[in-house]
Amino acid sequence: MATTTLTPQAESYRRSWVLDWLTTVDHKKIGILYIVNSFLFFFAAGILALVIRTELMVPGLQFLDEPTYNQAFTMHGTIMIFLFVVPILSGFANYIVPLMLGAPDMAFPRINALSFWMLPLGGGLIFSGYLFGGAAAEGWTGYAPLTSDAERFSASVGTDLWILGLVFVGTSSILGSVNFITTIFKMRAPGMTLFRMPIFVWTVLVTAVLILLATPVLTAGLIALFIDRNYGGSFFDPAAGGNPILWQHIFWFFGHPEVYIVILPAMGVVSEILPVFSRKPLFGYRAFVYATVGIGLLSFSVWAHHMFTTGKVFLPFFAFMTTLIGIPTGVKMFNWMATMWRGSISFTTPMLFAIGFITMFLIGGISGVMLASPAIDFHMQDTYFVVAHLHYVFFGGSVFGIFAASYFWFPKMFGRRLNERLGKIHFWIHFIGFNLAFFPMHSLGILGMPRRVADYSPDAGWTIYNLVSTVGAFMIAVSIIPFLINVVATLINGERVGDDPWEANTLEWATTSPPPPYNFDTLPPIRSERPVFDLRHKHDAEHLAADASIVEAPGSHA
Amino acid sequence: MRGQVAATRRRTAIRGGLLLALAVVLGGCMLPPEPATTQADATYGLYIFVFALAVLVFVGVEGFILYSVIRYRRRDDRLPDQLHGNNTVEIIWTAIPTVIVFVIFFFSIGTLGVVEARSDDPAVVVEVDGFQWQWTFRYTDDDSDPNNDYTVTGSAAQPPVMVLPVGEPVVVRLRSADVIHSFFVPNFLIKRDLIPLPEGQQLNELEFTIDRVGIYAGQCAEFCGNQHAAMTFTIDAREPADYATWIEAARSGAPPPPPSAAPGGTVIELTADQLAFDTDQIEVPAGEPFVIRLVNNDTVPHDVGIYAGADELFNGEDIPAGGSIDYQVSALEAGEYDFLCTIHPNMNGTLVAQ
Amino acid sequence: MTVDAPTSQTADLGPRLEAAHPELNRGLPIPLVGMLLFIASEVMFFGGLFAAYFNARAQAVGGHWGPPEGAHELEAWPLAAILTIILVASSFTMQFGVWAIRRGDQRRLRMWVGVTLLLGILFLAGQLYDYSTLGFGIGDGIFGTTFYTLTGFHGAHVFGGAVGLTILFARANAGQFSARNHIAVEAISMYWHFVDVVWIALFSILYFLK
Ligand code: HEA
Ligand code: HEA
Ligand code: CUA
Ligand SMILES: [Cu+2]
Repeated sequence: MATTTLTPQAESYRRSWVLDWLTTVDHKKIGILYIVNSFLFFFAAGILALVIRTELMVPGLQFLDEPTYNQAFTMHGTIMIFLFVVPILSGFANYIVPLMLGAPDMAFPRINALSFWMLPLGGGLIFSGYLFGGAAAEGWTGYAPLTSDAERFSASVGTDLWILGLVFVGTSSILGSVNFITTIFKMRAPGMTLFRMPIFVWTVLVTAVLILLATPVLTAGLIALFIDRNYGGSFFDPAAGGNPILWQHIFWFFGHPEVYIVILPAMGVVSEILPVFSRKPLFGYRAFVYATVGIGLLSFSVWAHHMFTTGKVFLPFFAFMTTLIGIPTGVKMFNWMATMWRGSISFTTPMLFAIGFITMFLIGGISGVMLASPAIDFHMQDTYFVVAHLHYVFFGGSVFGIFAASYFWFPKMFGRRLNERLGKIHFWIHFIGFNLAFFPMHSLGILGMPRRVADYSPDAGWTIYNLVSTVGAFMIAVSIIPFLINVVATLINGERVGDDPWEANTLEWATTSPPPPYNFDTLPPIRSERPVFDLRHKHDAEHLAADASIVEAPGSHA
Repeated sequence: MRGQVAATRRRTAIRGGLLLALAVVLGGCMLPPEPATTQADATYGLYIFVFALAVLVFVGVEGFILYSVIRYRRRDDRLPDQLHGNNTVEIIWTAIPTVIVFVIFFFSIGTLGVVEARSDDPAVVVEVDGFQWQWTFRYTDDDSDPNNDYTVTGSAAQPPVMVLPVGEPVVVRLRSADVIHSFFVPNFLIKRDLIPLPEGQQLNELEFTIDRVGIYAGQCAEFCGNQHAAMTFTIDAREPADYATWIEAARSGAPPPPPSAAPGGTVIELTADQLAFDTDQIEVPAGEPFVIRLVNNDTVPHDVGIYAGADELFNGEDIPAGGSIDYQVSALEAGEYDFLCTIHPNMNGTLVAQ
Repeated sequence: MTVDAPTSQTADLGPRLEAAHPELNRGLPIPLVGMLLFIASEVMFFGGLFAAYFNARAQAVGGHWGPPEGAHELEAWPLAAILTIILVASSFTMQFGVWAIRRGDQRRLRMWVGVTLLLGILFLAGQLYDYSTLGFGIGDGIFGTTFYTLTGFHGAHVFGGAVGLTILFARANAGQFSARNHIAVEAISMYWHFVDVVWIALFSILYFLK
């Protein structure tokens, strides 16, 4: 093997650290920028959620009027999805994927920086509506013709800014996905075959393909929307030969793959964490890979399940394809269960969040399958049942995965481990608050409470559920406090834990914490999807052989 | 070490208890409203079936996770068996959801057939127009003379009532001229969108046969702009004979009987003639709903709106020449308000709530 | 437990991964993979716009599809056809440039890139002229909307390609390319061919599909 030792190049001139972060093209710094930026947007959108919940706590319009309320949920949904969940998962992938592959950086470091900087720009544009007479207020789905006919229905420039902002954010993800796919195909270390890649990398790969193929379609739709609003176009204007239903097809052709874009990497995170803390390999690695690819393929053929009540789609086909998606997802679920089965499970904070993921995502998945039945969906569509479903998959799924990832990889990023005690406090308040906030929404939806209403009748019998839900929402907010304290305190004065505190499996743990520029001084040999595990236990085995007084544990052959 | 194990055990127990409690307490709240149409009965049955399967999957999977988490928590440093997978079980647990999913799909399509079935000759056809932000219901009949149609248009203060017979198939035709709305009656377990469609495309229709007399709340379910939440309506299902009397009276132009959902209250009479109201001062009780009975003796249409400064508190529908109506106005706080005809704003006066 | 990897078992990895491991260098070079992926996303973008076009066409009332009353029908001949010939020709000239630099012929590369750039500009100018004579606008019904959106976004891509060609031209003049090192030329040419293919699709659908 060629030996090119890597010494970090000495800086010939000093730069302020601010400038350093602003101009960095190092995938690790960009990853951290992504994560911090996304958390800021999460707090903003979370505060909007609290505003929504406060208004809905009891019937009557207490402190918002309708336009303000409509802006609140539109911004909440848009920001949560496009500026929190999607980018933060890209952030983790940015940091971790090159490390997992044994690569020195992403394939296109400068494009990587560009993708990141488009996010605050796009997010800023979306939010800036508030400065110009009101943000967009048509829902994150922006249905035409409400959104497309500015003159009659949505004069606010907030909607135009929302469109422009989303085009930036979308372009950012497209460039990011080009970068990920290229990195994964071209930058793997020697020995890292496709079927030795960690599952997280596989999920990022499939996600990137989904982004690459779905997001441009949304961009095209947004541009059509912009033309209709500002240049007299008639894509969605029924009076001039257009069709408002076209928007729904375009949006959901993107929108459904989008929901897997936000869940697949979180599934990847969980698939890394469960084996580490069960001290077993992931059960059914190949099945898992096939299931991920299967979900990716299916996700392009189900979009019209969001349009069952339009009366304009062929119900049996879309219902059938939608229910099919339950099968590969079920395979994943069962593989996770089998991974824990007969394991040796320790309940660290990342593990708690990972278990939280599988238990809560299950509920969201099941309600999804219920919605996939058209007759049931006729009742549930656009009610709080859908809101419950989407929070169980987004929050119970992706957000639990995101916190699992945060606790899991924090020691890699900063060399210090987040305090476990605070972490567990965070988890339990979070978990209980989450269920209080979103479970009652199922009942609300079944009883017929429509979504996107600022007010409801006191006679409808919905008050108690709304009240409980609001209490839960504030519990979630409270749970964030120990998390923030934890992060700050740990950065200042946390426990230094070395390079591999969790006894983990994958390559990122084979370098220092935090890793040096270009990541690796040396790489262990890669003979399986758990190179660091192999290394550790080869070592153990040698010790065991040397010291005959230690009885070999059953099955611990490396 | 011991203490830690005990603590985790305690936590898992708490966690299990919580999940169970949630399932029991909230499971009871997972039933749809009592169905009121034959179609809704079918959907309800399907829902119960699917929900039962859902509970089965939920309990099975969560139970297994809970068991593993408790049973296989870490006790010592021994490395467990490094099991990488097993093709037989992979096949089994691909097959299980496949079967479940096919069963659900099969029953779903069956129910869909019932819900979407159309009869040749519905007893009543109501044309429903959604607009920002209310509804117009138009009862057509066999002849093409629109004068024989009965039309009711709702307002935010007085959402419209759709009176319908029980036991007979009813069709609503759904149309919108502005944005997309959705006609949703929770007790019917169904909704359908009202879409502004390009020329030549088929309007959406819903057909149902109500099987219980009663008052059912309805509401627009597709977000349609600022007052989306105000797009409510009521379905008033009556015995066919009662319905016949009602529709005959309504068609003949007699003032339709006040909606049965109306809370009543004080009735204030107001007459419009020669572009003026008969009074420029009306008094109403504060803090309770009341009725303004507008009699239009003029040759042009009129209505009544109530304002506090620039804020519109009430805006009644237009009444054609020679017509009359009971406007149901919700409670006002004590104080002075303006009332006027929104078509002819110089027909105005003061409304005192005390 | 920390990993103290025995050095005998480890492979060293340099910053220039590819230099250290020539076996990774097989297949397409990294920048071209990136360009191909980017083009894939562009295909989906135009796919979205084409879907809107076909949707509108399929529902056109009474099967009538064409410019609004009063404006004349779209005519393939002469202008649009000439533009098509120009753009297709520019694809060839671009490819000649690529072949030239693969042989290490810098002079021909400069020439062909220059010609390609000129043809691109000619195409854009011709299209703008075409717009000015059409007699209907983007706001005149769904036909105008789809026509201008499709051709306009294609034009924007030609413009983007022309910017790329300008940079390429400048770099070629500075002698920055050689037979071994000319990935940028390959990448821009891929993009340029893609833009050409989109135009051929547009031309046949807008002007010929009845
Ligand atoms: C992360 C995001 C995410 C994910 C993963 C999913 C997953 C699924 N979703 Fe969801 N969905 C959303 C986000 C997501 N959804 C959002 C945001 C909306 C609303 C958008 C809006 O209108 O604002 C929505 C709306 C939505 C609708 C439309 C509702 C309506 O508006 O009327 C439907 C209908 O079919 C649906 C179905 C499904 C299905 C079948 C899955 C499946 O993928 C779930 C599969 C998982 C399981 C089934 C669990 C595990 C499986 C097993 C344990 C096997 C055994 C189980 C069975 C055989 C049942 N979703
Ligand atoms: C990933 C996606 C995601 C996430 C995480 C959330 C999180 C939350 N959501 Fe959201 N939601 C959506 C995606 C998401 N939502 C979408 C897509 C919609 C549909 C929008 C539409 O209809 O168009 C929606 C709609 C929606 C509604 C329905 C509105 C309506 O239809 O009228 C409601 C109502 O309760 C709600 C509530 C909440 C709550 C209480 C949280 C909570 O979990 C939030 C918890 C977070 C916090 C509370 C932040 C904590 C921060 C602090 C405590 C501040 C500290 C700050 C500093 C120190 C700077 N959401
Ligand atoms: Cu009409 Cu909502
Ligand atoms: Cu979907």
